[in-house]
Amino acid sequence: MKKNIIKLLSLLLAAAMILCVFAGCSDGKTEATDPKTSDNAPADTKTQADTQAETEEAAAPSGEPIKIGVLVADVSGEEALGFRSYYENYIAKNYNVSFVYTEQLEDAAAEKSAIEKFAAQGCQAILSFSSADRATQLDTCIQNKLYYAVASGMLDDAQFETYKTSEYFVGQIGPSMDTEYEAGFAMGKYFADKGVKTVAMYGAFIPNPMHVYRAAGVLAGLGMTYGGASEKDAIVGQIFADQGVDLSKVGANGVELVGYFQGFGDTTFDELYGLLGQNPDAFLSVGMATTFFTDALNGAGVEFSDIDSFTSANGKAMTEGKLVYLAGKYSSSIGPIFAALVNAVNGHPVRDAEGNALSISQDYLVATDAASFDKYSTADQGESPIFSKDVLDTVIGDSVSYDSFVALVTEDRG
Amino acid sequence: MAQTNLAKKNRTRELLVALLPVAALLVLFGALCLTVNLKGYRLDMYLKIVFNEGVVLAVVATGAIFIYSLGSFDISLGASTLFSAAIGVMVYNSTQSLPLMICTIFGVAIGCSLLSSVLASVFHIPVFVTTVAMMSVLSAVAAQIITANGGALGGIGIPATVVAPLDNVPFKLIALLVFTLICVFVFDFTKIGRRLKFLGSNPVCAKLSGIKVNVYAIVAFVMAGLGVGLGAFLTLVYTPSVTPTTAGSIGMNILVAIVFGGMPISGGSRSRIYAALVGGFSYILLNNILKIVIDSGAGYGISQIVSAVFFLAVVYVTSMNYRTKLLPR
Amino acid sequence: MTKKMNPAARLAGTLAIPAVFAAVLFGLCAANGKSLFATPISVNYFVLYAAIVMITTMALSINLNSGHFDFSLGAMAVLSSVLGAKLSYALLGGGSGSAPLMLLFCVVIGGVLGLLSGLLYVSLRIPPIITSLGVTLIYEGITFTVTAGKYVNTEVRNASMSAFSGTWVWSALVIVAVLALVWFLFDRTKFGYDYKALQNGQKVSVNTGIREVPNALVCYLICGALMGIVGFLSTVRSSTINGGSLNFGSIGIMFTAFLPMFIGGYIGRFSNDKLGYLIAALCMSLLNTTFAAFSNEISASMQSIINALLLVLFLIYLSNEGLLQGLFHRKKSA
Repeated sequence: MKKNIIKLLSLLLAAAMILCVFAGCSDGKTEATDPKTSDNAPADTKTQADTQAETEEAAAPSGEPIKIGVLVADVSGEEALGFRSYYENYIAKNYNVSFVYTEQLEDAAAEKSAIEKFAAQGCQAILSFSSADRATQLDTCIQNKLYYAVASGMLDDAQFETYKTSEYFVGQIGPSMDTEYEAGFAMGKYFADKGVKTVAMYGAFIPNPMHVYRAAGVLAGLGMTYGGASEKDAIVGQIFADQGVDLSKVGANGVELVGYFQGFGDTTFDELYGLLGQNPDAFLSVGMATTFFTDALNGAGVEFSDIDSFTSANGKAMTEGKLVYLAGKYSSSIGPIFAALVNAVNGHPVRDAEGNALSISQDYLVATDAASFDKYSTADQGESPIFSKDVLDTVIGDSVSYDSFVALVTEDRG
Repeated sequence: MAQTNLAKKNRTRELLVALLPVAALLVLFGALCLTVNLKGYRLDMYLKIVFNEGVVLAVVATGAIFIYSLGSFDISLGASTLFSAAIGVMVYNSTQSLPLMICTIFGVAIGCSLLSSVLASVFHIPVFVTTVAMMSVLSAVAAQIITANGGALGGIGIPATVVAPLDNVPFKLIALLVFTLICVFVFDFTKIGRRLKFLGSNPVCAKLSGIKVNVYAIVAFVMAGLGVGLGAFLTLVYTPSVTPTTAGSIGMNILVAIVFGGMPISGGSRSRIYAALVGGFSYILLNNILKIVIDSGAGYGISQIVSAVFFLAVVYVTSMNYRTKLLPR
Repeated sequence: MTKKMNPAARLAGTLAIPAVFAAVLFGLCAANGKSLFATPISVNYFVLYAAIVMITTMALSINLNSGHFDFSLGAMAVLSSVLGAKLSYALLGGGSGSAPLMLLFCVVIGGVLGLLSGLLYVSLRIPPIITSLGVTLIYEGITFTVTAGKYVNTEVRNASMSAFSGTWVWSALVIVAVLALVWFLFDRTKFGYDYKALQNGQKVSVNTGIREVPNALVCYLICGALMGIVGFLSTVRSSTINGGSLNFGSIGIMFTAFLPMFIGGYIGRFSNDKLGYLIAALCMSLLNTTFAAFSNEISASMQSIINALLLVLFLIYLSNEGLLQGLFHRKKSA
């Protein structure tokens, strides 16, 4: 009996000790990391003396690093990992900032809780790659006096109208829903112009809004109607209502859509091979096909396209496989929103003429062959990203105008 | 004399082991305070966050104790929470009436529970399998409703101002306490609770004593439905929107929380209402501590491993009182 | 003593469910102008999916029938496939023989993971469902740590893996091998007899001298090895492994095995339960192929609902079979 009680108490004490040890160890680690981040800034910036003073003032007037909380809903995707690497391995080394990431956020409650934790941890700003409930994210940031910026996707128009005047809403830079539609449209048009007669289509995770807009664009780009409609809003509305693309509503015009499927589950590969059995001239995807189907499509010898990112795996698919069209973002495309956030934290927010938050749509880059793919991917490598420190420094400071910011984001960097 | 001493010792041992989950909760609470202070974070905010994260789990798990006391378990409670919240939002958006929304949420939650219990007790389907089927159906239907009505937002919601006045610790604490007290009363001070425990301990004997299994199974599911309803409402109070992933992890976390709180999975006479409360908050505290101390990307995996090891250690110790010679099933 | 069934009744009982499935599903497709097996590739994936379902069902039923509820099956499959993929890639770099080597690693690693799970259960002596909760979280955590939460692609995309999915023969061979092995182990060895004795009366069996712990450990080992094969076959099927599942994200795989487990058990009454699992798996694969053919008409949500309803309806029938038969006989005699 006694032995058991002793065993029990020792287990309890051991557990408590383990937790305390963890706490102690971790604290030391953080202490060690933070100064390192701070040390890096002056070391790296010695070579850029002209912008050094301004940047130091802009990024950290008090010498303390700016702590930014990052909300993420995807911890596995190549694009998400590329973004993270850019912030942690490039931005954090070149600026006096530190990033704290969430785990994979599943729902709105997790997003709100994460923001509150960031506030408790002393973060000054939030960058959001998670979109379960943007409005609640913004409300929580405002409540906790945290600057907030959308780094991926965009608020819908009504939400933007509601929050655009809030001093804590820095803005949003990324593909707008219109841009998503245009990306799909360009992809569809590419194949239509190429003269394909039959196509198959993958709708990824419709009714995810981004995928709905892209799918609507693809249909329109192929010259098709949907439920008799050819206008963006009408097609989009019907796809939302149908929760997918209903083949019986697709009106062909030179190009025939021989099959469509979406999602990823037990039937996915049966559906894919069912479609490939019909020998379509091309397979158009509005997302994730390069992750799931590259092998199958290469094996079947069907040319395919996707909206993804400029990763090495996609480069291989374009060089050696059948990937012929890729609309993608590059990892450092999230540089400008970081710059906007730093300006806001330092008291020099960039606002439009009416004093509203930034809302700038960022286009996709399109590669249709190995050469164009290489151009984008090599231009955005680890230590020399497209939005490098030199480029970002031009919009970090106390005298950055809205127009110069827009010009930086929208400039063709291909 | 020797026998009395032995009995006394056994009682002490049982008491100590029974108190272990509470001790674990206190240790974890202390560890969180220590960790947060060492890190220089704001403790007041962290305590509020932990409470907000734990309250929905604690409420739903407290209701679920009634099912678990029968020796059954229900993994559809997360899906029921999502479904009830989604229907509640739809009703609010059609009627603009908060009371009606609340009534709908409770009604739907109890309805879902009743459906499970009817399938299980009337059609004699194993409870777990029934709840697996219910989980699939409820989450699929909820997802359909949410995505069809959410449009470009990807989710549905009510205006934040409707529930904002209720999004505070006192209100949630009162809701939690009132619900827990009701459950304690029903479970520990009425024949319903005694009979549920009897059914969980020895179903054959209970049936032979004239206890109507079906009736008590339905009562247990209704109480669980009340917990789900309150959980769904508190979910909306915290974030006034519902997406297909809302409350996704609750189903399994309830199981972990109840076991963490010291209740045997076989139910019966050792079932305790406080197990859900203690276990739910302990699990949330543990996860938060680990997330603070292991804060790298790969750390999510490591923190889950540490959390699981801690969970198994606590369950190992708390199960000392009811360990058998044969392998447990 | 139960009455011995005549061969015709056994055959009819064994084939009744698959016949109904085939008639309904082929009929539905014919009525709507759809083809279930339009290409040879469809056949390959039909057999591959049947193998996955059959082996998962066997793994689930081996432990479930002996009272060991195991949530960790999915986590074992994913972790063994991740480790198997990484090891085989490290050795062969995706070259010739990668697929068989990965299969071998998956089986061995799966077996070890199963054995570890079993050891934890017999050492802690807490209910297996609880142990499996902890094990699930641990294996998911290890998977996430090993993969850094990423999809595993490079290691599993090579000619050898494509060759495996390029024909139904390999999947069929796996089915035959597993079926034979499981039949032999459970129906023709002392271990199998002990397993059945323990399944039907734990206390009596232990009192008669059957060693419960080694039997349980071997069960866990076999389940783990089977889930290793499932991990490999799933990788062949999707040519990727998601390393980012945490917080019980991996348990979904076991839910797909409930319906075939009950169908297989029912068929087993007329023949052998292992054969029942195979037939049930073929039925589920046929249903899956039909869902794929009707993907534009039946959404993923609707598929979940149909699967759940089938499960409930079948269980209602199973649980009330006596009652229904009584009603039927009364009507007949009236």
